[in-house]
Amino acid sequence: MTDLIEKIGKTSVSATRSFRDTLSFASAIILKMFNKNSYSSATRMVLINQIYFTSVQILPLFIGISIIFGSLLIGIVFQIIKTLGLAEYLGRILMGLVVTELSPFVTVLLIALRSSSAINAEIAVMKVNKELDTLDKFNIDVIDYLFLPRVINGVISVVLLSFLFSILALTSGLLFSKLMFGMSLDTYSNVLLNSANFYDIVISLVKCCTFGFFITLIPIRFGLHASKDLTSIPISVLNGMIDVFIAIVIIEVLSLILIFI
Amino acid sequence: MDRGLSDFTMKNKQNLGLVSLDIPLISNLDVWVNVALIKQYHENLPEDKAELLILQYLRRYNMEYIANKRNFILTNKERFCAMLLRAAMVIDSIIVIDRPFKIIPDVPDDRFIYDSLKIIDDSFKECHIFDYAWFKDRYRMINV
Repeated sequence: MTDLIEKIGKTSVSATRSFRDTLSFASAIILKMFNKNSYSSATRMVLINQIYFTSVQILPLFIGISIIFGSLLIGIVFQIIKTLGLAEYLGRILMGLVVTELSPFVTVLLIALRSSSAINAEIAVMKVNKELDTLDKFNIDVIDYLFLPRVINGVISVVLLSFLFSILALTSGLLFSKLMFGMSLDTYSNVLLNSANFYDIVISLVKCCTFGFFITLIPIRFGLHASKDLTSIPISVLNGMIDVFIAIVIIEVLSLILIFI
Repeated sequence: MDRGLSDFTMKNKQNLGLVSLDIPLISNLDVWVNVALIKQYHENLPEDKAELLILQYLRRYNMEYIANKRNFILTNKERFCAMLLRAAMVIDSIIVIDRPFKIIPDVPDDRFIYDSLKIIDDSFKECHIFDYAWFKDRYRMINV
């Protein structure tokens, strides 16, 4: 029994320390973000490359997944709405489900799987190869040059791709609304616009920004934990990705609490 | 030697241009980006101007072809020249070459080092080479 309590205590202390370190690192990044001296030609070049690799390269796959997954889910939702006789709530359900919940969540999962793991591995490899020392020896701030562009890219990419997912999913909803409810484009658009709640859109935007921020920040932090040993790289990626998914769940839960209070 | 190097680099940190295997080129950047990074970060030189500048320097070495190569496919001499150029990009650069024969083990003496420095002697203020005493005989052209 004592061992169990000790184990719980150690885990709690470790988790709290990790949470505190993440917040401390996050505040350092945010301070740099609002300092104009952090931005140079080099950081702009990194940011553009990061946006290309995260948002542009993934576009064909992302559009495909958005259309297929979005259409499937919209079709199921429409079927349930029709069965339960809730047609008057169609707009509200679509905006609440697709824009506020589904788009950010699917987007962040895709980007976390693809980009977060890549960032984690990249930083860990740079640490092991002493490339971070190279930057330090040439008086290049690693936060300015390496971390800041990646975090900003995370925020921009999640916001834009989530918006794209919403558009594609809601567009596929037009097809289903015509087939199942005989709705015209005008009627469907009016239903959506009348249901659009400014508060929901703000929550969705804040959620996307928070997702984007932490799914790039956490992998960077864990990448820095790599030691000089090559075998520390997969361990750092493993731990980083677990923390990323925990963060996604926490942010999702917090956003749901904010919506329903 | 390690302490001497460490003391010297600490003293001249602001203008230090270090050439060492312990300070490698960034592996996921092309050679020209590695070299241009110094100018782009410290002097905010735009990307296109930085690229032109670095290509001009590589042309001096007849190594323009390595501009878009990555570290792992460079030969020892190409890597040395890239690292030397990077070091020379620092403002009022004090180049410090740490154990050059570790970077270019296939050269018998200091001729290649001297020639490489001579080609870009307008780009740095001074150059210091740190090496083990038992390599003294390999340094024929440079004052040891």
